Amino acid sequence: MEERPQHRLSRLPDNSALKQQELPAHRLYFTARRVLFVFFTTGIFCLCMGIILILSARSTQEIEINYTRICANCAKLRENASNFDKECTCSIPFYLSGKMMVGYVYMYYKLYGFYQNLYRYVRSRSNRQQLVGKDTKAVEDCAPFKTSDNKTPIVPCGAIANSMFNDTIILLHNINSSVQIKVPMLKSGLMWWTDKYVRFQNPSSKNLADEFRGTTKPPNWPKPVYDLDKKDPRNNGFLNDDFIVWMRAAAFPTFKTQYGRLNRTHRFIEGLPAGNYSFNITYNFPVTRFHGEKSVVLSTLTWYGGNSLFLGLAYTVTGAITWLASFAMMAIHIMLKNKKMSFFHQ
Amino acid sequence: MTVPKEMPEKWARAQAPPSWSRKKPSWGTEEERRARANDREYNEKFQYASNCIKTSKYNILTFLPVNLFEQFQEVANTYFLFLLILQLIPQISSLSWFTTIVPLVLVLTITAVKDATDDYFRHKSDNQVNNRQSQVLINGILQQEQWMNVCVGDIIKLENNQFVAADLLLLSSSEPHGLCYIETAELDGETNMKVRQAIPVTSELGDISKLAKFDGEVICEPPNNKLDKFSGTLYWKENKFPLSNQNMLLRGCVLRNTEWCFGLVIFAGPDTKLMQNSGRTKFKRTSIDRLMNTLVLWIFGFLVCMGVILAIGNAIWEHEVGTRFQVYLPWDEAVDSAFFSGFLSFWSYIIILNTVVPISLYVSVEVIRLGHSYFINWDKKMFCMKKRTPAEARTTTLNEELGQVEYIFSDKTGTLTQNIMVFNKCSINGRSYGDVFDVLGHKAELGERPEPVDFSFNPLADKKFLFWDPSLLEAVKIGDPHTHEFFRLLSLCHTVMSEEKNEGELYYKAQSPDEGALVTAARNFGFVFRSRTPKTITVHEMGTAITYQLLAILDFNNIRKRMSVIVRNPEGKIRLYCKGADTILLDRLHHSTQELLNTTMDHLNEYAGEGLRTLVLAYKDLDEEYYEEWAERRLQASLAQDSREDRLASIYEEVENDMMLLGATAIEDKLQQGVPETIALLTLANIKIWVLTGDKQETAVNIGYSCKMLTDDMTEVFIVTGHTVLEVREELRKAREKMMDSSRSVGNGFTYQEKLSSSKLTSVLEAVAGEYALVINGHSLAHALEADMELEFLETACACKAVICCRVTPLQKAQVVELVKKYKKAVTLAIGDGANDVSMIKTAHIGVGISGQEGIQAVLASDYSFSQFKFLQRLLLVHGRWSYLRMCKFLCYFFYKNFAFTMVHFWFGFFCGFSAQTVYDQYFITLYNIVYTSLPVLAMGVFDQDVPEQRSMEYPKLYEPGQLNLLFNKREFFICIAQGIYTSVLMFFIPYGVFADATRDDGTQLADYQSFAVTVATSLVIVVSVQIGLDTGYWTAINHFFIWGSLAVYFAILFAMHSNGLFDMFPNQFRFVGNAQNTLAQPTVWLTIVLTTVVCIMPVVAFRFLRLNLKPDLSDTVRYTQLVRKKQKAQHRCMRRVGRTGSRRSGYAFSHQEGFGELIMSGKNMRLSSLALSSFTTRSSSSWIESLRRKKSDSASSPSGGADKPLKG
Repeated sequence: MEERPQHRLSRLPDNSALKQQELPAHRLYFTARRVLFVFFTTGIFCLCMGIILILSARSTQEIEINYTRICANCAKLRENASNFDKECTCSIPFYLSGKMMVGYVYMYYKLYGFYQNLYRYVRSRSNRQQLVGKDTKAVEDCAPFKTSDNKTPIVPCGAIANSMFNDTIILLHNINSSVQIKVPMLKSGLMWWTDKYVRFQNPSSKNLADEFRGTTKPPNWPKPVYDLDKKDPRNNGFLNDDFIVWMRAAAFPTFKTQYGRLNRTHRFIEGLPAGNYSFNITYNFPVTRFHGEKSVVLSTLTWYGGNSLFLGLAYTVTGAITWLASFAMMAIHIMLKNKKMSFFHQ
Repeated sequence: MTVPKEMPEKWARAQAPPSWSRKKPSWGTEEERRARANDREYNEKFQYASNCIKTSKYNILTFLPVNLFEQFQEVANTYFLFLLILQLIPQISSLSWFTTIVPLVLVLTITAVKDATDDYFRHKSDNQVNNRQSQVLINGILQQEQWMNVCVGDIIKLENNQFVAADLLLLSSSEPHGLCYIETAELDGETNMKVRQAIPVTSELGDISKLAKFDGEVICEPPNNKLDKFSGTLYWKENKFPLSNQNMLLRGCVLRNTEWCFGLVIFAGPDTKLMQNSGRTKFKRTSIDRLMNTLVLWIFGFLVCMGVILAIGNAIWEHEVGTRFQVYLPWDEAVDSAFFSGFLSFWSYIIILNTVVPISLYVSVEVIRLGHSYFINWDKKMFCMKKRTPAEARTTTLNEELGQVEYIFSDKTGTLTQNIMVFNKCSINGRSYGDVFDVLGHKAELGERPEPVDFSFNPLADKKFLFWDPSLLEAVKIGDPHTHEFFRLLSLCHTVMSEEKNEGELYYKAQSPDEGALVTAARNFGFVFRSRTPKTITVHEMGTAITYQLLAILDFNNIRKRMSVIVRNPEGKIRLYCKGADTILLDRLHHSTQELLNTTMDHLNEYAGEGLRTLVLAYKDLDEEYYEEWAERRLQASLAQDSREDRLASIYEEVENDMMLLGATAIEDKLQQGVPETIALLTLANIKIWVLTGDKQETAVNIGYSCKMLTDDMTEVFIVTGHTVLEVREELRKAREKMMDSSRSVGNGFTYQEKLSSSKLTSVLEAVAGEYALVINGHSLAHALEADMELEFLETACACKAVICCRVTPLQKAQVVELVKKYKKAVTLAIGDGANDVSMIKTAHIGVGISGQEGIQAVLASDYSFSQFKFLQRLLLVHGRWSYLRMCKFLCYFFYKNFAFTMVHFWFGFFCGFSAQTVYDQYFITLYNIVYTSLPVLAMGVFDQDVPEQRSMEYPKLYEPGQLNLLFNKREFFICIAQGIYTSVLMFFIPYGVFADATRDDGTQLADYQSFAVTVATSLVIVVSVQIGLDTGYWTAINHFFIWGSLAVYFAILFAMHSNGLFDMFPNQFRFVGNAQNTLAQPTVWLTIVLTTVVCIMPVVAFRFLRLNLKPDLSDTVRYTQLVRKKQKAQHRCMRRVGRTGSRRSGYAFSHQEGFGELIMSGKNMRLSSLALSSFTTRSSSSWIESLRRKKSDSASSPSGGADKPLKG
């Protein structure tokens, strides 16, 4: 006889909600009331948000001075790589008109057309090298700036480090035609805590130069990494502030990176008073070679950060459109209501 | 015994077996088969297939290589392998290798595990079949052997009710003359018993010692799939004996009513006709699969386009900017020109953008289907309590196709019907019995009925017989002469044989279940057919044994459609009892019965309207002289050499005249539960149902009516029974013309007609007015399926509401399915229970096997199995519909989310010098598809419901979107893609706009790459989570858990990946240290995320809302009706039970072929001990067999019995 699989009583499927597809559930309905409610609320929220953001953004002040052309002579000098040891300074006077810049004033350098987001550029760094206890010769990810021509490892290796922005920018306040005060700028607080204390660590030894023996400086650097800041020994090696800030590569080819913030002391306790100022720039960083530009930016902040109008405008527009859409939908819904109801009740 | 005409000459000519010149079967096609009995050594030379069947694909050793090879034949897997190789090339690798290998290994493993489990079960079922025991004669001793060890040339012994193990040549049996009875339900679906007979020389070989010496050699045709044809020759003792199908027992048959028999194995295992008929297992793909593959190809094209654009961009950029930027980033050593850089960047972008078709797509689809399969297995409503069999999804890859079925091909016997014939009603002398009315006057349903009639007065009654109308028994008891005569007729006029193992334990061997039912009915009403000899019939009439002298049996055949017996009762009166089809019999009644005839006609119409199979009963008294004279003429005719059949027929015709009407019987060919309702519901769901049956036309039509496929409302039922190509073509043409004529007449006005005449035939037939049905028999079908006519046939058939193909072979069933599949581009489903349905089950897109029956071949070949036809509605309308819906929603969402995810890279390309820099962290890219967004969409794909299941049944029209492919097609795909691209644009440009100029709230730079990556990734995860929230129509706890869980997991992993600890351990791998806490603490970042979400989602909500208002589909309407909760009674559009009487005449579904009349009269099937054979002198012992055989071969070529013909016969 043909045998069939044995019949067991247990073949009766369980009567559980899961197995019978009867799980208690909430059915999602796009009812007019709900949808319109969501739309109106969202519209209001976006409109309010947009107005708040726009107002906040407009309360800030920003000055941007593009010094690529102003310092054309320096740029020309830098185009020739053999002049790397020649210093070139450039002074850019400007007038801070009207009100003073109130509160915290931040100074940035802004680069145009500098691609920090190229795939090979972004990857070309070695976090291992820059950690305590790790191998300073760990340059495996740093192509094409791993080693110098004589095979000594580069410290800090990689394209990012090599291309570090190295202009020195000093803001001077011209109280009158003869007296210039250097506006006090702080470097601290310009980087993430994790960058400063986790990502970058110096070799533990007190004498950095010893630690970095057997290595070489990146080709574009005028000075080795342990010699970046002559005034503050702690600001050397991988823990140099400018270095850390630079190493956080930007997402877009145009970006501004923090350079310093106003130390609110003495006459700058309220911010930057109106008056004549000038930037004294030691021009080291060549940008004309890749048709880039650079500028220096002074800016104040709002509660949410920078002074971009984009977010506020985007919110306002979204809010407005949502509201318009809500009204349109409501109109359509009401127009169709009778018809629809009769349809449902068929 | 005559040599069949088909027998090739060469076999007949060869006196002795020719020498071995043929090729071995395993090397080339076998030309002929030789098998010598009891000579394994000799037979081994030919290397015939053993009786071991193998449906499994792998063994332990071959599993890994074969499975991997198979898996890499999948385009998708190879594609991913290719990507993996690309990623290993450092110059172009823009993503780490693990982004591809992790999912790929996952996919391969899951699939391999699934394949392994499937194959394990196949091994198990193979083993089960292969290890069945059979008794094999080895070295003169009967030994128990497993089926798989049975070889060609072995002699095996079969016992009653055993399955035949291989294709056997019947040698001898326990019954006289080497007869044996078999049931071939597994093979052709016919459940009536068939007779097979050993050739006379071997039928003597009754005992083992003789059999052991038997060394005959059979030379026969090579293995083929023709079930009803066999030709070969037996060489034994210098003689040759022709063999035909009449001598064969085929694998899959069951031995019945025969104690034992011996057979010689001719074909074994895969060579058996059963296996040859089962067709090749094809890997079934769903239409969604195919669409998906097309779409993946398109996407790949799209990918290449994007790659080219970006590569060109890269070349230009490198030429314009990159060359100058070399101070800071010199070109790679390998790159010597901007052009080459562009070339590399093309491949890099192919790698990055490949996530538009992630591997997880394929895994998820499999997982969802698996889930749906489990739901089918778990469904209590598809569990048959009686047989204790649950529904089973045997294939896990076809579920959504269940929601798209347009054509159902159904077997009849065992599928639509239970194959139980029940004596249901009768009309005696103008009074109808059998109706039971409930209190309200409605016809009572089963279960609402009162107690059945109590037959305890009759010790010989069959306990299983149930009858509900007590008035009939009362009529019998009070001795109503008409009623008595009615049952007397039933107990006398048949060819049933009885067996009485113990006193009072009667077993009837009926050749057709109808006859069995009638005789059993008579038995219970006190007219017990007890025993018969060739000359007598003994009946217990109301307790007293009466022996009638049986004078003649005027047997049934397809033309006569009636049978009669002539008996002499103890008083010496001669009476002819006749039962037959009403159409035939009513013309042969005595005119005096006109009044009774009218009443009976009404009853007949009523019965027919209920789909019952009716017979009219009549009798006629014959006087002695007339009978003598008639009997003499009959004898003359039967001895005539030429046109014996015709002469006999006219002599029968003569006596069966002027008969007195007794009444009519109505037999219910019991349908499976809920069949008419299911068919009605499925029809409402726009599914066309075709019945393909091996059964005869009348039976099939009858069932068509009783299951409401055919109705009296139908404009016309076309019956195609042509025997030649021309006839069939003509009949089909006429049918089409009729349909067109009527639709033309329906059309109002001139323009409509003009349009009709100008349009093509097909389009006309699409819009036929009125309901038509087509009945075609196997013979005509063979012509209709020929290449030049198949389209005509298809057009005609598809214009009909119902199509019934009767007398079709298993192969034809498959051909019909194939035809529809080929030209209609519709999803087909075949449902059947027997081995004869296997080929069709395998051919159709979806094969459903009815389980819980005797055979399991159909189930083994099927994709889904359950035990009752009615579960089909649930399988399709609930499970199928949901599966389709879920799969479509899943695919839409999946493509959307991946386009949204991936296209961001494309936009970013324009801002990063086309350097193949990704927007996101590579871990995010790895995990996005397999962790962050996989489970919510899986939960939706597994659990989503648009409307509750009851609604699916109430509104069968909800099934239509699946058939029309509305929910996921190329258009929907483009909408998803567009939505994805729209999202990706916003996902990139909003953060870009914000970040470009913004600073953090502590004045530091915001727009660093890592913060940007985290912001975009976070808003992406949130947007797609909100989107899945909106797409999920049915929020169960699991959905909540997965959606919220995914978000939580995203943030958890984000913070973990960006943690100091991981950075300390792997500084170069986890470069995003501190990013999460620094970035996500910024209000600007959150404002950006919120804005992105709002802008991405609001249009979708608005669009859905408007579509719901302006263009709601039925599903929406049903959903919202539900919501409005008006206390309207749900419209049961599905089913009105049609109780009206019809005007249709019944088809006489008497027996499937000629009865045993001749057998009985010759006494050949009677045991020698039970009767004195010597008293029969009218015919020589072999003459009846010869005439039976001649009749068979006649009927094979005669119009009505054409089914035995092969396909192109």
